[in-house]
Amino acid sequence: MRTPPRLLTACAAVLVATTALTGCGPQGGPSAGGAPVSGLRIMVPNTPGGGYDITARSASRALEDSKLARNVEVFNLPGAGGTVGLGRTVSEKGNGKLLMSMGLGVVGASFTNKSKATLDQTTPIARLTEEPDVIVVPKGSKYDTIGELVKDWKADPGKVPVGGGSSPGGPDHLAPMLTAEAAGIEPKDVNYVPYDGGGELLAAVLGEQVSFGVSGASEFVDQIESGELRVLAVTSAEPVKGLDAPTLKEEGLDVDFVNWRGLVAPPGLDKAEQQELTDLVQELHDSKEWKDTLKTNRWTDAYLPGKEFGTFLGEETDRVDSVLTDLGLA
Amino acid sequence: MSDAGAPPAAPAPGRSSHRTLRGRAELGVCAFLYLLAAVVLYDAASLGSDFTQRGPVGPAAVPTAVGILLIAVATLLTVDVLRGGRGAPEDSEDVDPDAPSDWRTLALLAGAFLTNVVLLDVAGWIISGALLFWGAAFALGSRHWIRDPLIAFAMSTGSYLLFSALGIWLPAGPFASGV
Amino acid sequence: MDALVDLLGGFATALTPVNLLYALIGVALGTAIGVLPGIGPAMAVALLLPITYGLDPVGAFIMFAGIYYGGMYGGSTTSILINTPGESSSVMTAVEGNKMAKRGRAAQALATAAIGSFIAGSIGTALLVLFAPVMVALALTFGADDYFAVMLLAFVAACSVLGSSAIRGFASLGIGLSIGLVGLDPTTGQNRLSYGIPQLADGIDVVIVAVGVFAVGEALWVASRLRRTPAAVVGVGRVWMGRADWRRSWKPWLRGSFLGFPFGALPAGGSELPTFLSYILERRLSKHPEEFGHGAIEGVAGPEATNNSSAAGVMVPLLALGLPTTAVSAVMLSAFQQYGLQPGPLLFEREPELVWGLIASLFIGNAMLLVLNLPLAPLWAKLLHIPRPYLYAGILFFASVGMYAVNASALDLLLLLLLGALGFMMRRFGLPVIPLIVGSILGPMAELQLRRALQLSDGALTGLVTSPLSIGVYAVIALILLWPAGRALLRARRPRSGGGPERRTEPADS
Repeated sequence: MRTPPRLLTACAAVLVATTALTGCGPQGGPSAGGAPVSGLRIMVPNTPGGGYDITARSASRALEDSKLARNVEVFNLPGAGGTVGLGRTVSEKGNGKLLMSMGLGVVGASFTNKSKATLDQTTPIARLTEEPDVIVVPKGSKYDTIGELVKDWKADPGKVPVGGGSSPGGPDHLAPMLTAEAAGIEPKDVNYVPYDGGGELLAAVLGEQVSFGVSGASEFVDQIESGELRVLAVTSAEPVKGLDAPTLKEEGLDVDFVNWRGLVAPPGLDKAEQQELTDLVQELHDSKEWKDTLKTNRWTDAYLPGKEFGTFLGEETDRVDSVLTDLGLA
Repeated sequence: MSDAGAPPAAPAPGRSSHRTLRGRAELGVCAFLYLLAAVVLYDAASLGSDFTQRGPVGPAAVPTAVGILLIAVATLLTVDVLRGGRGAPEDSEDVDPDAPSDWRTLALLAGAFLTNVVLLDVAGWIISGALLFWGAAFALGSRHWIRDPLIAFAMSTGSYLLFSALGIWLPAGPFASGV
Repeated sequence: MDALVDLLGGFATALTPVNLLYALIGVALGTAIGVLPGIGPAMAVALLLPITYGLDPVGAFIMFAGIYYGGMYGGSTTSILINTPGESSSVMTAVEGNKMAKRGRAAQALATAAIGSFIAGSIGTALLVLFAPVMVALALTFGADDYFAVMLLAFVAACSVLGSSAIRGFASLGIGLSIGLVGLDPTTGQNRLSYGIPQLADGIDVVIVAVGVFAVGEALWVASRLRRTPAAVVGVGRVWMGRADWRRSWKPWLRGSFLGFPFGALPAGGSELPTFLSYILERRLSKHPEEFGHGAIEGVAGPEATNNSSAAGVMVPLLALGLPTTAVSAVMLSAFQQYGLQPGPLLFEREPELVWGLIASLFIGNAMLLVLNLPLAPLWAKLLHIPRPYLYAGILFFASVGMYAVNASALDLLLLLLLGALGFMMRRFGLPVIPLIVGSILGPMAELQLRRALQLSDGALTGLVTSPLSIGVYAVIALILLWPAGRALLRARRPRSGGGPERRTEPADS
């Protein structure tokens, strides 16, 4: 039983925009060319409206519009930061028609939830996008640069609460922890206040409940544009186009953090099935429709196919493991 | 307030015969509360509260408070019951307040429900749901040997088709292949 | 009044015969989907969203508003008819609404819900038009300490619905609080009482608790003492609300309208807290407190109005800041984006026509709900005339399919049965169910806000009283706590008749 923010998670539960229904859309309709894959299902391990959900639904639409597949069904199986969905994926052994939309958050959640199912059991298909976190303060804040903020933060971490949109172990938790570490602050001393994604966090930052907020750049785009929020820094190694803010590296803090999203499939697929899925996602990535999707959502393309993605997954798992172990969470 | 559950004077006719039995049965509620308290407190004690905790209230604080509340309430309730306090059973239009508990009907109904829980993922909603409806109607005394199963299958098939038209997944069971 | 001029402009674009048809279709579909158990408005909206894709923006919004209101009303319908709330905001409706239905007054309950929804929805939308910017500014100043103070207030208020025996009320509250503990501790991410079952990590959905304790519990309870001889046929009575019903409903509608809106506008306000407060308020203010627990119309009118006006309040942060604070508004946000409409601070400047068209659509959808559903109320009410075995079998059937559909997890059904057994036990031994629901909803919220407040103040207890608002609320709490002490003294002098509404001095009243 959860609070209203939690009900976001609990109440919305499964919404399934079926192909049957999406087919009614303007560009839907049966496809003609090639041999489109049919009967594919994409699982979203969190609620509608979240990042994995938008990724999955956009991918499904792009697949259909580009006639690469038809009747792609997206369904939500939220719970425990994605570990419920992960568990289902791992148990669907040999199912070559299932993909799970996932990302860095699922890596963290599988640690904090001590999940029996782990990502290395799944078949990595591809990394699709990435997005840096941004460090923001409300327009009335006394901090104009990340340097000023870090100075106060270092002096008394407890008095400088930081708000993030994910529970401990999630991306918005990892980003400030890595930043603190780089600034010489003991991660354990960081006063991290978890908010239930998007809306609630934004309200807390705007209402100056927290000293600063850390979350995905897209969460704040409109408020940054309207001047309600000020970006002090981005966490990626490269500056973000369209955002007038330095990277943490430029400010002397050795942090390179991006949140990424991708697709994995159940374990136990044979070579052909595995190839079919990776090829499909490769074609998706090359399609014009997907490029448009990236643009409208302001996502950064971070395509990494099968094997390489698997290696990357391993590295990320180790990195998250070490941060969380420091904190006693893993 | 402790004696408020039942009027002390002039117990309702037809109930007095169960009085002693109910008195003892209600101690079961006390036992349940003690058990719940134990579970909650044990779980609270097993939480490591050293890490990522900020502020004086950790993850175990509220469960501990709830556990203590439960113990207090269970104790007070025990005293109340032993002194003759009774909780008034809820009335409902379809409930015969004077009837003794009919455990057979209850078990049949719970059994029908449980059958569905167990069978659902294996046999699919159409079969399992029909069994649920039929079983429940049977438990509640309906004995139309043709009409009941027909209604049950109509309901489960209808709801299956409706939900799948909406794109909500229900287990198809043996009918899965074609879908 | 620039706003009003703009709104009229919105109506001008929105009010075309074709758009009205869209509204009608939307409401019809929304209601039809919403009455399916387990499908609340969020799911109804998400499921039906694709239908609107082919339409022009204004037509789509109008249909969308119809679906939304229809879905909400559909959830209340199941609450009233089969004690199976479709979502958390209609949980309180089930308490009195289903009792009314059992006494043959389902049509009145449905009618007061529909009219109350219409009135509250309209008032809420009007408040949205007039006060959105002010409300947003206010809502943002609302901190964790304020939330916690309000929740304490709600707990204190809950003590007034403990029922005839305070101990049994507290027992029920304790059980509810324990249920609320299950799941991931939101602050530190540790699992509590979930025993490594990932499905439990997010806690037990309040809808499952309500459906389990209300619907399944009742079915089991009825099964254990089924009236074998047919009960005296409950007179259907009048089909429409009588004068007395109107007299008793209009104030709760208005109170609910103004209670729900501000809560909806709060980022963590939601609809559970205000519907519950509305229920308590009506129970306290009613001239017929003895009817509460047996089907008091105020107990339906108030929470239903509150629920709709809080839904309008949710639009405040959504439109003005781009903050989705509920599942429905998260879905809405993605719907808006379909039309290139990016809610947020710039929305009113960028897309005035769409925004005002949308707001006009909310009015229209709301009105259409009334037009469509009021005539249906007596028809729905007839549903309860089916034979008892089918009725209860049907309740179990729909509760099962609905709860399963939400998460596709048989575990939820098992939980439903366990909670049903709990509900059975509580009915048998006279533990009131409302404190349980309250505990399971408020407990986790209060804990979260308490700990958040203390975290933000870096552990200083003064962090709990940082604003005038929280201090004010504590003052109110102190007043409430002192008030009954004084009244109890008065009451003690009077004969027993002043007892709680749930006190039964006779075996049964039926």
